[in-house]
Amino acid sequence: MFYNHLRGELWKLFGKKRTYIGFGTFLLAQNAMLLLFHFTHWQEGMERNLAGNGYPAQDYVSALTVALIMLIPQIVMLMPLYIALVGGDLVAKEAEDGTLRMILCRPISRFQLLTAKWVAGMIFAAVLVLVLGATALGFARCWFPWKGMFVFAPGMVFNALSASEGLKLYLCSHLFLTINASVILGIAFMFSCFNMKPAAATILALSFLFVNVVMEGIPFFENYRQWLLTHYFQVWLLVYSQPTPWERLGESLCVLLAFSLTSFLIGTAAFQARDIKS
Amino acid sequence: MIQLKHVSKKFGRHLAVADLSLEVPSGEIYGLLGHNGAGKSTAIGMMLGQVWPTGGEVRICGFEVTSRRREALEKVGAIFESPAFYDYLSGRRNLQILSSYTASTPSARIQEVIEWVGLGARADSKVRTYSHGMRARLALAQALLPKPALLILDEPSDGLDPEGIHEMRQTILRLQREMGLTILLSSHLLTEVEQLCTRIAVLNQGRKVFEGALAETRRQEKWVRLRVGDFALAVRALREQGLIADHRDGSLVCPAPGIGADQIVNFLVRQGISLFEIAPEQETLEGFYLRLMDRQHEVA
Repeated sequence: MFYNHLRGELWKLFGKKRTYIGFGTFLLAQNAMLLLFHFTHWQEGMERNLAGNGYPAQDYVSALTVALIMLIPQIVMLMPLYIALVGGDLVAKEAEDGTLRMILCRPISRFQLLTAKWVAGMIFAAVLVLVLGATALGFARCWFPWKGMFVFAPGMVFNALSASEGLKLYLCSHLFLTINASVILGIAFMFSCFNMKPAAATILALSFLFVNVVMEGIPFFENYRQWLLTHYFQVWLLVYSQPTPWERLGESLCVLLAFSLTSFLIGTAAFQARDIKS
Repeated sequence: MIQLKHVSKKFGRHLAVADLSLEVPSGEIYGLLGHNGAGKSTAIGMMLGQVWPTGGEVRICGFEVTSRRREALEKVGAIFESPAFYDYLSGRRNLQILSSYTASTPSARIQEVIEWVGLGARADSKVRTYSHGMRARLALAQALLPKPALLILDEPSDGLDPEGIHEMRQTILRLQREMGLTILLSSHLLTEVEQLCTRIAVLNQGRKVFEGALAETRRQEKWVRLRVGDFALAVRALREQGLIADHRDGSLVCPAPGIGADQIVNFLVRQGISLFEIAPEQETLEGFYLRLMDRQHEVA
């Protein structure tokens, strides 16, 4: 029975054009960045950075390196926006359109309905991240050779890896990115379960993330970073660290999963208590 | 089939439904009447487990809706005013999705219902291309998919043209005749209710102000409709003879106590006054409803 509900939710989600806006924008952004990297001083800057640290630039300016460089701004800026857009729509849009009332005259419990919607949302988040990762690598491969991987994130990671090791960690980092995306979707979904417009749910979710990012950047909150959600989102880049910070990875994973579960339960409780009226 | 016992619902401080008790027997077409904001939609929302009652008990098919939702709503279909669908999907896909919330429904059953409502040719077109009448048919199809025993219709004719209203009325009668469904109909259209329902309840400001058989609203008046060549002359003659006690509206007379219509007819014929029609005046549902509401206003 759950399979039928989930299938219905996926039909709804992937049946509307709005769902694909994110995919289209990512593809455009990736190509734009690739052109910028290739035809501006961006590439030269990275080559100097490598050479300055004793790495031969020609071995590390590769498809894997460029794919990761392309991903970072998209993950920070575009991904939360599109994930929150879809997450904010999941329940609130149906309530606004009136289809929720059509569903809730059926013998399905609200918890079952929300579970199906939440799982469908998680599938969307995973598909978006995987497509994003695959296309970034695919486009980068069209322009750059398959060689070693250089990862540099100020204050977090500085590492040079072989191509095979780089690919393995690239896949692994996408697993953590999927978790990040599902947490963002979960926050938007939670707000969407309250009695509000879809846009309001999206804006609230983005505002929550924005406040976290801003607070994380303020030196005063240096000692309170562990209380900020976005601190744990860095885990997708930390997988490239040498040696692997297993403790930090485990902690982040637990916090993100607990946050995801909590937001789902808060959303469910709010939805359960709501009156659904036209 | 539907039982509401002392049900109430408050939205903040606003009392939307107050101590409402209703019973809809099996096999009836039951009308729920009331002006906008009278509490009809809230009452229907509580029947379908969409609105939580503040107090009281709601039972559908013998099961308490809030605690045994699955059993209560398993054999229930519902149509709301301005039915909403996933416009970017086809009618058939909409039916597949909506029916999946009740039970796994075979494609053959979906096709059968599509044919029944007459959407066969357009079932695979996107719903955004449907006319209002086609959307109403699709709404009916989704309501019929779970093979319901009870159909709850909340303003089903809302927004339909006269042809569509007539078609919807015929369909409701057909459903009751062919499938023996119990139907709860909430409507503003008093003529529609009058033509369809066997029992009605009238709500005013969340309270039930009348419940009974439609026949009770059509109680015969003491007035008699009289169509004659010269009404003023006829009235004067009848009064002089002591056959009527009162008259009004240029066509109605109230016979004196103990006087029958036959005596009035005989007298008028003897007097040579042309008589075209004499019939007992029957109150319409509209008249009954307006009188009921006037009484409520006076009480308030």
